Amino acid sequence: MVLLKLYWSFLLIGFGSFGGLSMIPQISSEVLSHGWMTVEQVTDIVAIAEMTPGPLGLNCATFAGMQAAGVPGAIAANLGTLTPTLTLCAAAAAFFHRFKDSRIMQRILLGVRPACLGMVLGVLVSLSLSSYWGSSGLNCPAVAIGATDLVLLLKYKVSIPKILLFSAGMGFLLFGVLGI
Amino acid sequence: MTVTKRAKELWILLLEFMRFGCFTFGGGWSIIAQMQQLYVEKKKVITAEELLDLTSVAKSLPGTMIANVAMLYGYRAGGILGGFVCVFGMTVPPMLILIAISFGYNAFRSNYWVMAVMSGMQAAVVPIIASAAIGLAKGSVKYPPCVFVVLLCLGLYLFLDINAIFLVAVGIAAGFLIGGYYERKGEKDHGAA
Repeated sequence: MVLLKLYWSFLLIGFGSFGGLSMIPQISSEVLSHGWMTVEQVTDIVAIAEMTPGPLGLNCATFAGMQAAGVPGAIAANLGTLTPTLTLCAAAAAFFHRFKDSRIMQRILLGVRPACLGMVLGVLVSLSLSSYWGSSGLNCPAVAIGATDLVLLLKYKVSIPKILLFSAGMGFLLFGVLGI
Repeated sequence: MTVTKRAKELWILLLEFMRFGCFTFGGGWSIIAQMQQLYVEKKKVITAEELLDLTSVAKSLPGTMIANVAMLYGYRAGGILGGFVCVFGMTVPPMLILIAISFGYNAFRSNYWVMAVMSGMQAAVVPIIASAAIGLAKGSVKYPPCVFVVLLCLGLYLFLDINAIFLVAVGIAAGFLIGGYYERKGEKDHGAA
């Protein structure tokens, strides 16, 4: 029964949100009202969900599902969050595949592409502030790691998994061993 | 024969998306960066413009953006089955990692070395997304007024904290205006020549 409830709650969260941080208020009100998690757990899970791989919404679903009903709960909550993708987006994929070369779709995309680029740039600006600017001013080791990564990515075309492993190693060294 | 070939294609898609799933730190945009690197630059199976199209559609639908991107790319590469395979591949590794972490998440969260490693990875997210943005910028600005749309949406996003769906609507309206103008201009130039 709890599995169905988890599925349904996260289905509502999935349909009602457009990804990222916009999901958090809805997730927290659902998991708190069902008593699946405490307020502190919600704060913790957002922090952990942000630093582990995977999209925030799915990570929150996994955590809440685990708290409420273990591994089956995690699977049920993930399926709920994915339901819009598996239904609506699957239909949209078929539709888009068929009409993407039509004149109207080409016009729409002409404006939507730059709009989407604007959003990526916006995400970049706000992420730069949160990643490199802390309470004690500029986070110099983080900037050094970021700048090195950028050179490796653009000049030497290093793959993203390798960049992440390199940065993890640098974090271990700078923040861990040297304790900066 | 064709059945085994198709099974092999789906298997490759599954492995590629499981790999993406293991390395999606910092939200949905880092998977776009990985797809950019693999499909646009290395394998050249999709153009930067097309990847940006899929991203835009994914962003304008409800649900998790990267699951939507996985569905859209999978459908393009291998039909509806391809879509399901990509979504499955992309969501299972993070789910398994999170299930493992949830058993000892207090220890995980307060561990000095884990935090050091995580802070290092956090510093990599911005350059990764920046590299994707540079790759995608090439295909996105077809006519000069498109630059204005980029700046407008950047400003709206940063200063008014506007929902993605609204920015997509702005893009659609701008697309009709700009497209209409250049199509008429094209006809006129063509007629004069």
